Amino acid sequence: MSASGTFLATRDLAKRFGGIVATEQVSLDIAEGELRCIIGPNGAGKSTLFALLCGIHRPDSGRIFIKGQDVTSLPSFRRVRLGVGLTFQTNRAFHDLNVRQNLEVPMGATGGTARTRSGRSEERYRYALSVFGLDGLWETPARELPHHQLQWLEIAMVLSGGPDILLLDEPTAGMSPEETTQTAKVLQYLNGDGLTIVVVEHDIAFVREVAQRVTVLHQGSVFAEGSIDEITAHDDVRRIYLGQA
Amino acid sequence: MKRLLRLATGPEDIGRSPGFWVAFAVLVVYLFASPLWLNEFEAYNVSFYLLNLPMALGLCLLWGYCGVLSFGQVAYFGIAGYVYGIIAGNLVGTGWGPIAGELGGLAACVVVSAIFGYFVFYARVQAWIVPILTLVLTLLLETFLGQTAGYQWRVGNVQLGGYNGMTGIPSFQIGNLVFYGYAFYYFVLVAVVLCYFGCRMVVNSHFGKVMLAIREDPLRAELLGYDIRARQLGVFVLASVLAGISGLFYVQWGNYITPSQVGLVSAALPVIWVAVGGRTSLLAVAISTYALNWVNYSLSSAGNQYALVIIGALLVVVMLFFPRGIVVMLAETGFRGGVAKLRDTLRRG
Repeated sequence: MSASGTFLATRDLAKRFGGIVATEQVSLDIAEGELRCIIGPNGAGKSTLFALLCGIHRPDSGRIFIKGQDVTSLPSFRRVRLGVGLTFQTNRAFHDLNVRQNLEVPMGATGGTARTRSGRSEERYRYALSVFGLDGLWETPARELPHHQLQWLEIAMVLSGGPDILLLDEPTAGMSPEETTQTAKVLQYLNGDGLTIVVVEHDIAFVREVAQRVTVLHQGSVFAEGSIDEITAHDDVRRIYLGQA
Repeated sequence: MKRLLRLATGPEDIGRSPGFWVAFAVLVVYLFASPLWLNEFEAYNVSFYLLNLPMALGLCLLWGYCGVLSFGQVAYFGIAGYVYGIIAGNLVGTGWGPIAGELGGLAACVVVSAIFGYFVFYARVQAWIVPILTLVLTLLLETFLGQTAGYQWRVGNVQLGGYNGMTGIPSFQIGNLVFYGYAFYYFVLVAVVLCYFGCRMVVNSHFGKVMLAIREDPLRAELLGYDIRARQLGVFVLASVLAGISGLFYVQWGNYITPSQVGLVSAALPVIWVAVGGRTSLLAVAISTYALNWVNYSLSSAGNQYALVIIGALLVVVMLFFPRGIVVMLAETGFRGGVAKLRDTLRRG
């Protein structure tokens, strides 16, 4: 179904909620080791696409493949065990738990089978903890963390499970420019280390900084795809999304 | 051994300081030494206050730590009690009938809770539907047992007895040793202490952390790789077995059981014990369960007709003023802090 080296692929993915078309005929190929940004106006179907990729919603039609395996009907936890890690648009770290517990929860999520951190993924996790400054906050309840550290904690939680692909839904929402830069630094390190990353993001400066390739969604469909320079030079994209005539 | 000790004394419960453990050890020694000054009847009464602790601890695990409220834990209490009565009653005189009855009772709890829980959790039934379904199960059981009057409703030599219940259920026995009076007291006390430490080990294990994660955000937990359906089912079965242990103790204590033990009033009591103490702490639940059973038994045996009304009113007061539970609140804020909080709540209307 997909070219060799493709980590995640979708074919004609469609989802409707009642009469509202959330995604329509979305076909994507995310290569192994790629850092892809997905942009688009509100309601373009970005978050729905992520929800379909990780099994929160089932598509009305179309297929999803991870490492060549058709996962369309697999429940979420099985996709995670295949290496998918997701952070949500609204932070969903466990606020009742402290930082240590938040980071320990994903560690045993193997279902008695294989997925544990080792080698590269352990180093990636340690690096993120250190740059995010979470390694000195073990006993701090998550609810006492400032917004940006909660966002980072959720990324670290997902890294703690040793994923092969990170799906990040607006990871820098609500962050200051400095915090956004820190986030970009970590994502670039992780991607440079071979981790495949897909980011839904509104902050074009951030996208420009990190993305190797950009997909534009509009009204539930793939509208354009290319490098950031190609996308920002695309007249129709500028009109529908970047707000320029 | 070291690991077991670390799990039993871990942080996921109130009471973790060295001072607490000294006080806890003193309490356990006091309870073990109590037969020195309690007569056999009084010790038998204390075992009644203790025997509901496993069921309450199980509900605490399920509701307080895993976020699933069951309103029907007494169904498993009743299933274990009736199955024990049937097996032990048919094997009277063999010496090993009560042990077979215990194993049979607990096995029945596992089978029924696993089948029922499978349909509930694998259908992803959530929130307030779960307590309604569990309550329906126990009310169905009560209705069924209530119509089992008559000679045709017997299993071997044992009559189910309809609303009059099953009587003459044998006490627990190993060989020639019959657990009655002091022996039954120690039997229940050891089992309750083991249940408490066992539950503490569960909540302080990695499994316990995952339970807390599922309680707070099931979807997030699933998207970290956990099959939350299997986890919730596992805790549900464990809680049901603990309720079954209480049911076994109950029938061995009183030698009878009636359908009212799985009825609406009985179903509400474990929820009250757990809510009043504070569902997020095993210790708080243990304290409130013991205290409320003592209050209920003392009022009832003194001829007070309003024991259950008083217990129910207590639940309403606690929910209004201390929604996290009295013992948990006192542990967090101290007595003065609790009074200040109460005053603050009253002032705000």
